[in-house]
Amino acid sequence: MRPLQTIAVGFDGSLDAEAAVRWAFELASQVDADVVVIHAVGLLEYAAHRGVAVELEKTVERLAREAGIDSARVHWNLADGDPCSVLIRAGVGPVAADLLVVGSRGQGAHAGLLLGSTSHELAEHAAVPVVIVPTGREGQ
Amino acid sequence: MLIVSGPTGGSEHDGGGHPERPARISAVMEGIDDLHLGTDVQIVVPHVANLAQMARVHDTAYLNELAAFCKAGGGQLDPDTYAMVDSWSAARRAAGAGLAAVDALRQRDDGVAFVVARPPGHHALRDRAMGFCLLNNIAISAAALTADDERVLIIDWDVHHGNGTQAIFWDDPKVLYVSTHQWPLFPGSGTAQEIGGPHALGRTVNIPLPAGATGDVVRRAIGEVALPAIDDFDPTWVLISAGFDAHRADPLANLALSSGDFAELATMVAGFAPRPGRLVLFLEGGYDVGALRMSVAATLGALLGDSYHPEDSTCGGPGTEMVHQARAEWDEAFHRARLLNPSERRVR
Repeated sequence: MRPLQTIAVGFDGSLDAEAAVRWAFELASQVDADVVVIHAVGLLEYAAHRGVAVELEKTVERLAREAGIDSARVHWNLADGDPCSVLIRAGVGPVAADLLVVGSRGQGAHAGLLLGSTSHELAEHAAVPVVIVPTGREGQ
Repeated sequence: MLIVSGPTGGSEHDGGGHPERPARISAVMEGIDDLHLGTDVQIVVPHVANLAQMARVHDTAYLNELAAFCKAGGGQLDPDTYAMVDSWSAARRAAGAGLAAVDALRQRDDGVAFVVARPPGHHALRDRAMGFCLLNNIAISAAALTADDERVLIIDWDVHHGNGTQAIFWDDPKVLYVSTHQWPLFPGSGTAQEIGGPHALGRTVNIPLPAGATGDVVRRAIGEVALPAIDDFDPTWVLISAGFDAHRADPLANLALSSGDFAELATMVAGFAPRPGRLVLFLEGGYDVGALRMSVAATLGALLGDSYHPEDSTCGGPGTEMVHQARAEWDEAFHRARLLNPSERRVR
């Protein structure tokens, strides 16, 4: 297995996603890897919420500062699509991530059922290993 | 003769404030009324698609999960896509509307059918809902046709790439999938290099277009990039993923077509059908109800020989270079794939 070079982490602004980003920053600092923070731009966000991505990027910058990670190691990536598809593509496309990281539940998920669970879909379809970070346990 | 299968959805599957809403069906029906077709329009009551029909393109596990999800009250399936208690029945009726349209055309051997159904379908994957879509309506009908050894051309002129339809038929030589769509845009797929799986090389043709592209560019895209593949394929049926969100007034995208462009596109695509009674349009996107009404009327009017043009067609927008690039990239990808897979052949 080659050393981790690029970690991709999904970020939709939820607390679960923040936990995943913190965990990815922590791991990246330990193994000297880059982190690509990916936000999926869906149909509705494209139409109505163009300012959302700007706010999310600021949040990622704050999380990076708090984690003390080298800012040159952090890359913000807006990708058209649904969260699951853009993360799957991050494992094979130009991002070529070695590892995908997601929170246990993002926005829009339905508690108690697997349908609508990005982490479940990723675990089934991703071409690279997936880490699902349970909320509140990112520091462990 | 215009055969309208539906309308389905009615007040069902209403997400309250969501752009994919029941008012779209009303707008479509008003567009049909604008043509004053009288006895030349026949409404076909759709049947509900059964499990075997849906399972041709969807995993049974997904169908069961979706049914259970709706029964449990529904919710958000992803940031764009919702389901409610009544969404499962609405989606099955939408899928069944396509099957009913095909049946009606087979019986008549004449006319054109329009499936007025929601939720739309072309983003729905084999095992996942996506982009407002729960079941892939056009794929379910196409799969029913290929089960009878038909060769099905799917033209997708919705402004978004029909990733679900492409994925479902990726390696199926009996389906030729052609899409024009804005790029970059949701769902992020649909490059010209995507040409089909090893058993269906060349059976996928994507033509991405820049924001601002006008109707002449879309027609040129189909004529210059897709036409050779269509001629080679020689379809026995033509199904259209007829989204009308490439209209310049649509709030979800930025192409610059008018309703008059859809009329010209429809005339062009109808020419790919081998004979009358082999053309079915499926409603996909289109979220400005005024533009939707005009575009539907212009499209159907053109197919029925009417000259209903509430808006002139458009020309002069960007995209010619992207069309040429798509042609070159498709050719290169096809020849490279043939070199890597010399034993694979396109099968008619």
